[in-house]
Amino acid sequence: MGHLIGKQYKLDHLIEVAKNIVHAVHKAPQITGKTEVEAEIIWGEDLEPIIEVMGPVANVMRYVKWDYETIKNCYEKGESPVIINIGAKVSRSNLNWNCGACGFDTCKEFNAYSKEYRGGGQLGGPTCNWKMLDYAIACDWACAAAWQYRVDNRIMGSVGFALMALGYLPDMDVKLGLALGPPRDMVYFNREEMHKSMSYELDKQDLINCVPTMFTCFPGGGMPMYKTKDDWWAPPEFMGIQYSPLVMEVMQQVLFEQVPEIVVKHAGKIEARYKERKIK
Amino acid sequence: MKKYVEDLDFRGEEFVGEWTPWSPQDIRRKKGVLESARVILNSVFTAPFAGGVPSIEAQIVYGQEELEAVARKVEEIAHTQESWKEAFLYEAVMVRDSDVILFIGNTRCHETPLDAGCGLCGGTLDCGYFYEKKTHRYGLVDITDRSSSRMINGPLCTARVGDLGYAVGSALWTAHTLMVDARPFASIGMAGQKLGYCHNSGMVVAVPLAAKAKNPYVDVNVDYHLINMDKVLDNTRKIYNTARIIRGFDYRKWIPKPKKTEEGGE
Repeated sequence: MGHLIGKQYKLDHLIEVAKNIVHAVHKAPQITGKTEVEAEIIWGEDLEPIIEVMGPVANVMRYVKWDYETIKNCYEKGESPVIINIGAKVSRSNLNWNCGACGFDTCKEFNAYSKEYRGGGQLGGPTCNWKMLDYAIACDWACAAAWQYRVDNRIMGSVGFALMALGYLPDMDVKLGLALGPPRDMVYFNREEMHKSMSYELDKQDLINCVPTMFTCFPGGGMPMYKTKDDWWAPPEFMGIQYSPLVMEVMQQVLFEQVPEIVVKHAGKIEARYKERKIK
Repeated sequence: MKKYVEDLDFRGEEFVGEWTPWSPQDIRRKKGVLESARVILNSVFTAPFAGGVPSIEAQIVYGQEELEAVARKVEEIAHTQESWKEAFLYEAVMVRDSDVILFIGNTRCHETPLDAGCGLCGGTLDCGYFYEKKTHRYGLVDITDRSSSRMINGPLCTARVGDLGYAVGSALWTAHTLMVDARPFASIGMAGQKLGYCHNSGMVVAVPLAAKAKNPYVDVNVDYHLINMDKVLDNTRKIYNTARIIRGFDYRKWIPKPKKTEEGGE
């Protein structure tokens, strides 16, 4: 006999589903059979550092803003998503296949290069592409498993960046986050959580920036006007290409000032957690 | 409404089996796997991709001659690299034991990268690693020179390679769901790419499929390229006929019988 009611039991069940999904991550077939994959599960208050790191990045990257606002809003209204951190060791090749996919003639040369530049990119790198395939298959199996349980989910590079910055999965060198739930339709697609957070004008400006061909007038003159308003012909508008110190500066600030400031607050605690588990 | 004759006469019998190979019943069974392959392709194309960008192409290959050509290419590649040799030779056997091969490739990883500055390819804060090693003009990669001393003409956009992995993962997931045996292979993928399958792709992975009593892709013995079902059967053909002709009798007149023992038994 029993009577489950409220939000807590739904979260508890989502965590159980996440554990099943982690099984699928580890069961996923591999091409090489030699790629180390790890997965862990976080939810509730433990999402706070991740949300915090995504905050400044969201200001300069729209796709991060989607993920940030969705996860943050769900969490703040007491419907915490559960996130599966999935990582793999991909920056060294133990294959000796010398296939050339990485851009080097031999795995040995790649490994020497990788030793020097390991972890230099926003999402890690350099990468052995065959190991990346193994890792991606594991991530895909996580998504497919979530789908089989009818849990709304999305695999996120934005969360991966936060995991990388905060030092989650310290032994892994590529990381993505699979956000799960809360249990309802269209959490991560259509993004109901973002309703009213973007104006029509901003949405339209994004389209002009990202899909300029939609707005281009007759290009025969070589310097076409752009149709950006109803009376687009008067006065005409033109697009230009230029270096933007502002954009670059903002990006630098985010990556090298704002994010590190947040990381410093949390990294010690996260690192200690891994050390504790290793001792046990 | 137009009525088709075949709709009115919806009846039939289909005998299906896996013995003997390439018999009508075996080919009917293979056709089931072919239908699965087509269903699997749905999940290949609906897999999650970075930015929702279409970048996947696939090719379904089946038939005795077609599979034999792929197997021979895998064997050729096996001998080009010591670290590949044994495993790839084993995998060539698996090609011959497959019903259908699914090749899945990414059409963008070598030409139109994600350009997101993720750094996965070379550990840099931009896409410089990829472009520095490519022939390009203002970021438009010239792929017209198809020659390459390497098996795969890298570097590749690793984010796009990740997309290929998602597609392959979905193929494997659906194959498992449909109870069709499948595994992802580098060797068969590279052989397929060299044979021109998924010809717009910079990287190709093969997912061979089979629905047989024994999964062809697991539990192999040592020297599998020398000792496998085809070879065992061929050796039986080699040995048994000779075993017959080293003795002789006219079975219509006399058949040798076991000697009777004293107890009266045979």
